[in-house]
Amino acid sequence: MTAPFALPCPAAAADRPLILALPKGRILGECGALLARAGLHPAPDYADEASRRLRFPTDDPALEVVRVRSFDVATFVAFGAAELGICGADVLMEFDYPEIYAPLDLGIGRCRISVAEPAETAGTDDPARWSSVRVASKYPSLSRRHFAARGVQAEVVALSGAMELAPTLGLARLIVDLVQTGSTLKANGLVETEVIAPVSARLIVNRTALKTRPEAVGGWIARFRAALEPG
Amino acid sequence: MTDDPPAHPALLPSGFRDLLPEAAEEEAQAIAALMAVFAGHGYQRVKPPLLEFQEGLFAGSGAALAEQTFRLMDPLSQRMMGLRADITPQIARIATTRLAAVPRPLRLSYAGQCVRVAGSELAPERQIGQAGIELVGEDSLAADTELLLVGAEALAAVGIARVSVDLTLPTLVPALLEAAGLEAAARAPLARALDRKDAAAVAHHGGPLAGLLADLLLAAGPAARALAALAAAALPDTARALAERLAATVAAVAARAPALLLTVDPVEFRGLRYHTGLAFTFYAPGRRIELGRGGRYLGNAGEPATGLTLYPDRILAAIPPPPARPRLFVPWGADPAQAAARRAEGFATVAALSPHGPAAAEARRLLCTHRLEGGAAVPLAPEHA
Repeated sequence: MTAPFALPCPAAAADRPLILALPKGRILGECGALLARAGLHPAPDYADEASRRLRFPTDDPALEVVRVRSFDVATFVAFGAAELGICGADVLMEFDYPEIYAPLDLGIGRCRISVAEPAETAGTDDPARWSSVRVASKYPSLSRRHFAARGVQAEVVALSGAMELAPTLGLARLIVDLVQTGSTLKANGLVETEVIAPVSARLIVNRTALKTRPEAVGGWIARFRAALEPG
Repeated sequence: MTDDPPAHPALLPSGFRDLLPEAAEEEAQAIAALMAVFAGHGYQRVKPPLLEFQEGLFAGSGAALAEQTFRLMDPLSQRMMGLRADITPQIARIATTRLAAVPRPLRLSYAGQCVRVAGSELAPERQIGQAGIELVGEDSLAADTELLLVGAEALAAVGIARVSVDLTLPTLVPALLEAAGLEAAARAPLARALDRKDAAAVAHHGGPLAGLLADLLLAAGPAARALAALAAAALPDTARALAERLAATVAAVAARAPALLLTVDPVEFRGLRYHTGLAFTFYAPGRRIELGRGGRYLGNAGEPATGLTLYPDRILAAIPPPPARPRLFVPWGADPAQAAARRAEGFATVAALSPHGPAAAEARRLLCTHRLEGGAAVPLAPEHA
């Protein structure tokens, strides 16, 4: 049998506060104004990344906020540990969890996910002739899908940061990474050769939670939707 | 490679597990309780085999299962066989072949184990129990309603009284796309966007339907609200008919089972590729995984049918374990007739097989709750700390 782990008893789980997972980093700073417009005011240290707290009450006793790594927002929501979350579309493209609904484009955290390579090799050969290509990325599955759709097998070196070093040090021919202004690429002698997709932050919800707690979860979707209306 | 330690004898392949004492018994009891409800409503039990030729498993409603099915070659016939990943296609095969001459509507039930090639991160198990019913040869609101009510009654019989049912119309979106004349190439990304309820992608790929689909996407929720949104939407005739039948089904179920929480998700069609009409999923509030699902489909000979599959493993995880059967220690040399009398009262008797020390200590060592003394069942005193 599977080792039982302490799930809250069903009745308690159905009535516990909803959990909204927010991503550390880039998007978190832009969330504040949106949360306020949606009428949600977490304990003020939620945006202070120096705070050691991970779980924050809000002014609504029926909703708590947790702060996790951007990629983990999707995991928390997919498994139902958090009913709601905010994360970049890049994370959703990478994980592609069928348990996640993304009902709202929040329009914040705008950037793009792109292919980049050293300026000196860019445009020197025809990618259509490649059978495979070595790619450094923190988006292994997205990278594989992107190149597979072009008939190229991507051999992905999974890195969690400093992707820009990989081509110059011979770790990979290309990188697939988020690009906001392009200045990091430029500083490392790379050029953006292809935009895979534009990225913005999404409100995501757990599919089962939407089905079993439709009033509460649907209510928050409506509040965020209203917060996005102009004026 | 040569440095690898030998595999631990307890290690099982990923997604498989042993059920140990109590858990295995609980599972058997829960399945018996579900099957008793099905039988009570006239569903007769059938038992298809674990393996059969793959053509049978993948016909009609089974086509979506091909990639989830373990396959092997039959050395006798030299044909490919599949280890079933779902029992429904087998019931459909039986209904349209061996039981083709039985009058319709045909009510069948089944319980058994299935195996699939891979689990998902969220549901990693690869062996899955199923207990279900099929109602073959009838396409009507009454048939859909019966299945929903029998499913809810079966869950109540194992102790899950608070159930919510999500109703979906897997053919609604295709009907809308068809009526709007959307090109085939545009449908795949749109279908995917709808599946993930990705509003941004729906707006991007939706073309003339973007507004309508966005409204329906956000209409998912309590049945009354979702039906109101469907009623207010500008639907083509084919879609309108689907929505009206859904509304009538909701009314019929709500009248018979007012406590059942009904939700409607108009644009959902996930994992239901073969469904041709109303589809539904059972949830227990607070549980993160579905307890069962079902829906309307066309059988192998184009015969209308509707089915429901419950997942006993998940149901067991959602209910508290029943009280364990009391275990009565029968000391060495005790009268077998006395033990038999206690068994008739519901005790499980544990007979000593050789002479032993003090009976109470021996009873405790064998994890009994009672011991037989003078023909009576004496509860064991709690152990001293």
